[in-house]
Amino acid sequence: MDGILFETKNLSFNQIIKYKDIQIKEGKVSFIVGKSGSGKSTLLKLFNGTLPPSNGTIYYHDRDISQMDTITLRKEVLLISQAVYLFDGCIEDNFKEFYRYRDMPAPSEEVMKEFLKLCCIPFSLDKDCTTMSGGEKQRVYIAIYLSFLPKVIMLDEPTSALDKENSNDVIENLIAFAKDKGITVIIVSHDPKITDKFAEEIILIERGVD
Amino acid sequence: MQGAVQLNILQFSLVYLLLIIVLAIMKKSRINQSRFLIIASLRMTVQLVLAGLILTYIFKNPHPVFVVFYIIAMVAFSIKRVINKNKGLNSKFKWAVSISLAGSGIFILSYFVIVVVGKSIFNPQYTIPLAGMIMGNSMTGVTLGLKTFNENIRSQRTKIETLLNLGATPKKILLPYVNDAVETALLPTMNSMVGMGIVSLPGMMTGQILSGTLPTTAILYQISIMIAICTSVCLTVFCSLHFGYKTLYNSRNQINF
Repeated sequence: MDGILFETKNLSFNQIIKYKDIQIKEGKVSFIVGKSGSGKSTLLKLFNGTLPPSNGTIYYHDRDISQMDTITLRKEVLLISQAVYLFDGCIEDNFKEFYRYRDMPAPSEEVMKEFLKLCCIPFSLDKDCTTMSGGEKQRVYIAIYLSFLPKVIMLDEPTSALDKENSNDVIENLIAFAKDKGITVIIVSHDPKITDKFAEEIILIERGVD
Repeated sequence: MQGAVQLNILQFSLVYLLLIIVLAIMKKSRINQSRFLIIASLRMTVQLVLAGLILTYIFKNPHPVFVVFYIIAMVAFSIKRVINKNKGLNSKFKWAVSISLAGSGIFILSYFVIVVVGKSIFNPQYTIPLAGMIMGNSMTGVTLGLKTFNENIRSQRTKIETLLNLGATPKKILLPYVNDAVETALLPTMNSMVGMGIVSLPGMMTGQILSGTLPTTAILYQISIMIAICTSVCLTVFCSLHFGYKTLYNSRNQINF
C-alpha cells in the first residue's frame, strides 16, 4: 500500500451519501469532482475528522482515523474550507490570532510576506482585512493556512471568489510550493479548466453509489 | 413608624385604572399587545392572590414540609421557564442548567437565611420570599446568558468551523463564548446595584419601609439580598454554561450545534 495517503472502505454519511471506495495518493495533486450535493465537501470533513461517518472506515497512512487523535489529524491534514473566516483587524493580526489558537508563536514578518506573495496578495501586513473584497480575503485566508506547513492540504473550492487570472496563479504557486515541501494537495473544484490543467489524479464522486 | 395602610378592595381596584393609560398609548402607537397586557395583568393578579392565600396559610401553620414544597415548586418553575425560553438545548445541557440553577439557588439561599439572617431554613417568613428573589433573578440571568451563548455560537458558525479545521480544541474555541455570556448575564444585576438608592428604591426595601421597618434595617436587608442575588446569578450562569458547553462536543472533538 505504498504511496496511499487516504483510503476509504464502504464509507457513508447520514445514510444519504454513500461513497465508492476511494484512494488518494501521497505527494500527488488530487482533484475531487462531482455534482453539487454529491458529498465532496463532506468527504473532506470526514477526512479531517470534523464529521463522523455513519458507516465505513477511513485509513490515513494505513491507520483507521477513528483510532487517531482528531486534533493531531486536523493539524496534519489541514482543511481550508469554502467559507472564509478572518478576524477583524489587519493581516498581521490575523496571522497572530490563528497562531494563538494553535498555541504557536506567530511567524516572522518575512515569513508572513512570503506566504502572502505566494497567494498573490500585494498588500502590506497592516492592511485591514475587514475592507477587503471576497477574493482578497480568500487569498489571505489560504496564505495563513498554508503557513502552518501541514503534511496534507485540502482546499474546498479555493478559487470560488477569485477571477480566472488569480485562480490560475494562486493554484499554480500553491502546487509548486506543495511539491517543493512534499505536501499532498487535495482540491475540490467546480472549475474544469483548473482541474484539467493541474490535476494529477481525478476522483469522481457520484451520488447514491452503493 | 406605622404599619402599611390596609388596602380595601375598592381602593385596591383603583390601581387597575392606570392600565387605561398603557392601553391608550398602545392604541395610539399601534402596539398590538393590548391582549397580552390584559392577560399578563390577570395572570399576575391570580398568581399573587393564590400566593398570598398560600403564604397566609403557611405562616399560620408553619411546617418544614410546606417550605420544602414551596421551594421545590419555585425551583421547578424557574427551570421550566429557562428551558422553555431556550429551545434547542440538548438533554445533557438541560440537566446542566437544571442542576446549576437548583444547586446555586439553594446554596445561596441557605447561606443567606442560616448564616446572615441567623434563622432556620424552614422558617417560611424568611426562606420563601428570599428564595423568590434569588431564584427569580437567577432565572432571568441564566436565560439571558444562555440566549447570548446560543445566539453567538450560531451566528459564528463559520468561525467555529474554521478554527476546528485549524486543529484548535473545542474548549479553546468555545470558552470565549462562555465567558462573554457570563459577563452579559451579570451586567443587569451590577447595573441595578450601581443605581440603587439613587435611581431606585428597590422593591424589597420599599415593601419593608411601607410595612413599618426602619429604613436603616431595610437597607441592610436590601444590600444583603443584592449581593446574594449577584452571587447567585453569577454562580448559576457560570455553572450552567461551564458544564453545558462541554455537552456540545464529543471525545472526537466534533462540535454538534
